[in-house]
Amino acid sequence: MLFGAILRRLLLSGLTMLLLSCFVFLATEVLPGDALDMTLTADELSAMPPEALEQKRRELGLDRPAVERLGIFLGDMARLDFGTTVITGAPVADIVWYPFRNSLALAGATLAIALPLALVLGIAAAVWRGRAADGAVSTAAIVGYSIPEFVIGTVLVMLFSVAWPIFPATVTANTRAPLSELLAAAPLAVATVVIGSVAYLTRILRAGMIETLASDAMERLRLAGIPKARIVLVHALPAAILPALTAAALYAAALVSGIVVVELLFAYPGIGQEMVRAVTMRETPVIQAIAILAAAVVVAANLAADLSMLALDPRRRG
Amino acid sequence: MVRLSRRSLLATGSAALALPLVPRFAFAEETPVRGGTLAIAQLSANRRSADATNSRHPYYIVDANTRAQWNCLTWVDENLQVQLEVATKIEPADSTLAVWDVTIREGVSFHNGKEMDSADVAASFDYHRQNAPFARQITRIEPVSKYVARFFLDAGNSEFPYILAEYNSVIMPAAPVETIGMDGIGSGPFRIVESDPNRSLIMERFESYWDQGTPYLDRLEVYNREGQQEAALNGLRSGQFDAVLNIDARAAVQLSSDPDFDIETKQGGYSFVIQLPKHPGSPFEDKRVRQAFAYAIDREAIVRVAYGGKYGWVGNDSHLMAVDPNFVPRPGGRDVAKAKALLAEAGHPNGIDLGTLYWSPQLPEAGIYFQVLQQSVKEAGITLTLEERPNDGYIQFRSGEADLSKGKYHKLAMTAVGNRNPGISLFRMRHAYVESGHWQGEAHDRYMALYQKAMVEPEAGKRKAIYADMQQILFEEVPAILPAGGDTFLVKRKSVRAMTYHPQIWSVRYERIWKQATA
Repeated sequence: MLFGAILRRLLLSGLTMLLLSCFVFLATEVLPGDALDMTLTADELSAMPPEALEQKRRELGLDRPAVERLGIFLGDMARLDFGTTVITGAPVADIVWYPFRNSLALAGATLAIALPLALVLGIAAAVWRGRAADGAVSTAAIVGYSIPEFVIGTVLVMLFSVAWPIFPATVTANTRAPLSELLAAAPLAVATVVIGSVAYLTRILRAGMIETLASDAMERLRLAGIPKARIVLVHALPAAILPALTAAALYAAALVSGIVVVELLFAYPGIGQEMVRAVTMRETPVIQAIAILAAAVVVAANLAADLSMLALDPRRRG
Repeated sequence: MVRLSRRSLLATGSAALALPLVPRFAFAEETPVRGGTLAIAQLSANRRSADATNSRHPYYIVDANTRAQWNCLTWVDENLQVQLEVATKIEPADSTLAVWDVTIREGVSFHNGKEMDSADVAASFDYHRQNAPFARQITRIEPVSKYVARFFLDAGNSEFPYILAEYNSVIMPAAPVETIGMDGIGSGPFRIVESDPNRSLIMERFESYWDQGTPYLDRLEVYNREGQQEAALNGLRSGQFDAVLNIDARAAVQLSSDPDFDIETKQGGYSFVIQLPKHPGSPFEDKRVRQAFAYAIDREAIVRVAYGGKYGWVGNDSHLMAVDPNFVPRPGGRDVAKAKALLAEAGHPNGIDLGTLYWSPQLPEAGIYFQVLQQSVKEAGITLTLEERPNDGYIQFRSGEADLSKGKYHKLAMTAVGNRNPGISLFRMRHAYVESGHWQGEAHDRYMALYQKAMVEPEAGKRKAIYADMQQILFEEVPAILPAGGDTFLVKRKSVRAMTYHPQIWSVRYERIWKQATA
């Protein structure tokens, strides 16, 4: 039964990726213009006769029909080959790997800080529900969740870079710098994402804890004289964290591609910034690679959450 | 055939070619201080995306300003005059002006210690003529002697020295076309020590730079912040950057009152051209309608509103910038009465609807610019609808097909134009190019005949007279409209000295810049 459930989810993930690949291809096909249009300035174009431009377009393969390109694209995806860039012919994998790594690192660092914080705040708010602590945490969570990240980031920059120059306003570290060096150069970027993440996760954990603490099982434990702290941490927390697991996993996956605004604000060398550049420059293979990678992260996170739920909760294996 | 005297060529108007590079600038009563790091954020980055293999190549470095890492044979100064750089002499080999001999300076070292010679020049330009649009006219280059290279062009070009100053026209150590330039080795004042594709370029002083005593700075760091002006300015305010290059006019106006920073500006950075389609059925087929449109626009208002009055200039409907010595101001200025009279004569006594003018946000002030234009022409009875188009695919959208018989016409649309010498700029009004609205006819033929004449005229003074005649034709025919333009701006800390900007933003000379020690 477990094996069957896992197999079904794996097949579904594979189908999802195939459909996503086709959708990504179609989405890039409708973008007007091409890489050559974006590379040459109007001044340079004024010096090139139209036939020279067409020749260049042919050399770069920009005149091939869409069906032919879709076939090549799907074939490459099946071999996990992202192809080469349009203008320079560089391997796309080389272009996207480090930005992808950096976005994963930012998401990972964020969760490493945000999850424990959210746990503490969520538990506290649930345990002292209706009291001042809950009020403070809930209000802060709503505010933190409601304010767009670029606003949070801008405020942090104004406070801690401009007014009190403690941290750098933008990230100047090399894209291929060691992760420790990169994250150390991006404290405000990390803080910006952490604030939003803590707000979101706290709300979910609080809700889960409240529901669990109100259950009959927890009532029986209270009636049995089990200490409150033990009820909360040993019995309620594991049960409450399960529903939050899926949400947290999806949130974490979405962070990888969803922090593009933060990356742009701080010039953090992640996948979001690379995607913006690729779209601007019409580097279609790079756009496709990043979209596929981001989708793969979401699908993998979803699959991991599902499999975890299956492993932890036998009732879901049917 | 008139035999050209090289002495006369050098003496008249081309005398600049005999001068050495403009000596390094020093502010009065200040002695440059050696040392320090200059960190700059660049808002107008290289349009060519780099990767790990080519991020040190002059075509793909972060910033289009190649003067920090390489030298060219010539350089265009802030007054748009061509100066010698690593060339000591440039002269036509014959009267056709299609063959040029260039003598390079002896003892110029590349960053790898190799001395520059004519073989390097030949190899570099063999690459450029195949890959750089402005160098396409070069058919071959031959080393004549160790320090002399001969250029062969497909046609005479009296302004060929300007081509040698283009940001792509750098001199690299000789190598096969497939690999030349990839190592980032140049002869410029700074050598590349670290590159992060599309993001940053770190350079250090080249101790053996041929202009002895320079550069003053130990280190130069360039960061790409294209499209992130606020982030770049926050970096400036926080001390992360010493300067931000290519800010927009509004930021320049705001920052000009900040006591911590200086705004450096140069007139004539760029302008907008409005192509007037002349296909069958277009109202612009009638010259009187084009003239009326030109007279109706309040160009002063555009400068006042879009550029804060002091950071813009009035155009003359040619591609020349106001700072160009060949620029002839458009006679008459705004004349609404004349515009109405011309429209009435053309059969539109009650005004005319010119349709939709398409624009794209290529520069931040574009929206305001065209709104002012739209409002100002109403007074003459001209109705114009504005429609914003995305930058994506905009070139193809506005260009249509060059062959009008195919029926896919170009649009009434704008685009931004940069600052180049007249030989390049005035060529843009040729029939084949969309910005002229595919202008044709007797006046166009006269215009192009004058152009051909200018391209084989060695004396700058005579060329200037020809350019003036060409502009007179443009005033009469109005194939396109270029109402006004803006300056280029950078903002810097007051401790940064001798950092001036340039109408061609890729031509800043970093070897001159120094930093005052701060307490």
